[in-house]
Amino acid sequence: MATRLMFENSCEVGVFSKLTNAFCLVAIGGSESFYSTFEAELADVIPVVKTSIGGNRIIGRLCVGNKNGLLLPHTTTDQELQHLRNSLPDQVVVQRIEERLSALGNCIACNDHVALAHTDLDRETEEIIADVLGVEVFRQTIAGNILVGSYCSFSNRGGLVHPHTSIEDLDELSTLLQVPLVAGTVNRGSEVIGAGLTVNDWTAFCGSDTTATELSVIESVFKLREAQPNAIVDEMRKSLIDSYV
Amino acid sequence: MPRGPTRDKRRTYKSKDQKGFPLSSKDKGIPKHTLEGKSDLSGSSEEEGSEGVVQADFVFFDPKPDDFHGVKILLQTYLDDTQWDLSGFVDLILAQTTVGTVVKMEGDDDDTPFSIVTALNLGRYKDHKCIKELKEFLLKVCQEKDVIRDLRLLMGEQAHDVGLLVSQRVVNLPPQLLPPLHDALFDEVSWATEDEPTAELRNSFRFKCYLLVSKIYKKNNRNLIRRSGSDGGDGIVYIKPEDENFHKLSLWSFSFPMHAQQVETQEASNIVVCFFWF
Repeated sequence: MATRLMFENSCEVGVFSKLTNAFCLVAIGGSESFYSTFEAELADVIPVVKTSIGGNRIIGRLCVGNKNGLLLPHTTTDQELQHLRNSLPDQVVVQRIEERLSALGNCIACNDHVALAHTDLDRETEEIIADVLGVEVFRQTIAGNILVGSYCSFSNRGGLVHPHTSIEDLDELSTLLQVPLVAGTVNRGSEVIGAGLTVNDWTAFCGSDTTATELSVIESVFKLREAQPNAIVDEMRKSLIDSYV
Repeated sequence: MPRGPTRDKRRTYKSKDQKGFPLSSKDKGIPKHTLEGKSDLSGSSEEEGSEGVVQADFVFFDPKPDDFHGVKILLQTYLDDTQWDLSGFVDLILAQTTVGTVVKMEGDDDDTPFSIVTALNLGRYKDHKCIKELKEFLLKVCQEKDVIRDLRLLMGEQAHDVGLLVSQRVVNLPPQLLPPLHDALFDEVSWATEDEPTAELRNSFRFKCYLLVSKIYKKNNRNLIRRSGSDGGDGIVYIKPEDENFHKLSLWSFSFPMHAQQVETQEASNIVVCFFWF
């Protein structure tokens, strides 16, 4: 099910949060209702962790992660790194990387199997992504935009990309990612999908400006209507139980 | 519903000094960033000449629904960091095409608004959620007892005579645009009192007074002993220069501290609500 919410009057939910199948990161500050909306949906399934990255609240755009790992930019402080390592499940490898393009969330989009990366990313970073996140990395553009993390959002079940993506690009990306893709918008016509939406295999959060049409597109492409968290989380249950018994 | 002839409200303003020459920063001694500064919403860039002189033509438009995102960003901190129906408020502003102006740059592909100016009748829109929340918020933050009584009256029984003046812009919008922008607003209000199709609508623009919510910088109490002659006599720094004039003309005003932006040094940011009769 998709939920609509706001962070301090901003509908850019994907900027202030990062959702994966194994954990959820939420920015500090803002009202408690932002955090509690996530808690209400996710609390008994995956840990919801409040954090900042390099003192910033725009955590969704600075980090990238999936069920295997979390990559943080070099601006992350030691305390934040430690806090994340302590709060996240053990099987999630938390690593801070030295990359000139430090807004990792804008440059990289990934699910549990495949990642799309900014064309100018370092080779070393690409190897770390493949290693830590356990994914195959493809350097791509989306509708001519190099910030792939900003203009698309995909899970293991489907993906939403920039509305101006051509049919050929859509087919090519769909083949690479092995998931069905749809070109669409979020937050009442905003093209910046990654900023307006955060999604995992069974739930999605988007800004409250999102229209009913956009919401139904999101629910259908990410197959959220029939999704049950337990089925997906069961395979990870052994390692997750360690962290919140 | 048949509409009367609309006046030609679309105007182009070239950034020029009084003599009509194109504005250049070195001629007038205006700091460079006035024209070449970019707002955080403008994706497109202006061509920078070798001496740093930038030409910018600004156009005034009627509000239209496509401006939603740009105007929403401009009004993001309108009511401090309260969560309220900002989207509904922006929709109200954009739906009122007869009174209200959006300033954009000529030839800008992004079509981003640089400024929004409008006047909303509190009585006409009193049933909208955003206006109710706005009234609640202002009544809640008003700390001064003598003002709150007047404020309550104006939000309640006299709401249909009150115009909420909404004026927001990017920080570096050239000040030469301000007089025509405000003239345009008040002209449109007086035209609307004649041109609107129904008597009810015509009367809704006969404002007896305006209410303005704006941001200023005010010195922190603990630093009152230190005197600095650079700002206004009462220690207020106005972000928008016309606010100082409005404040002087106002019947009453009050200020309250903002939470969304804390400035650590001597000044804390506040919002002043001014009120005046015309």
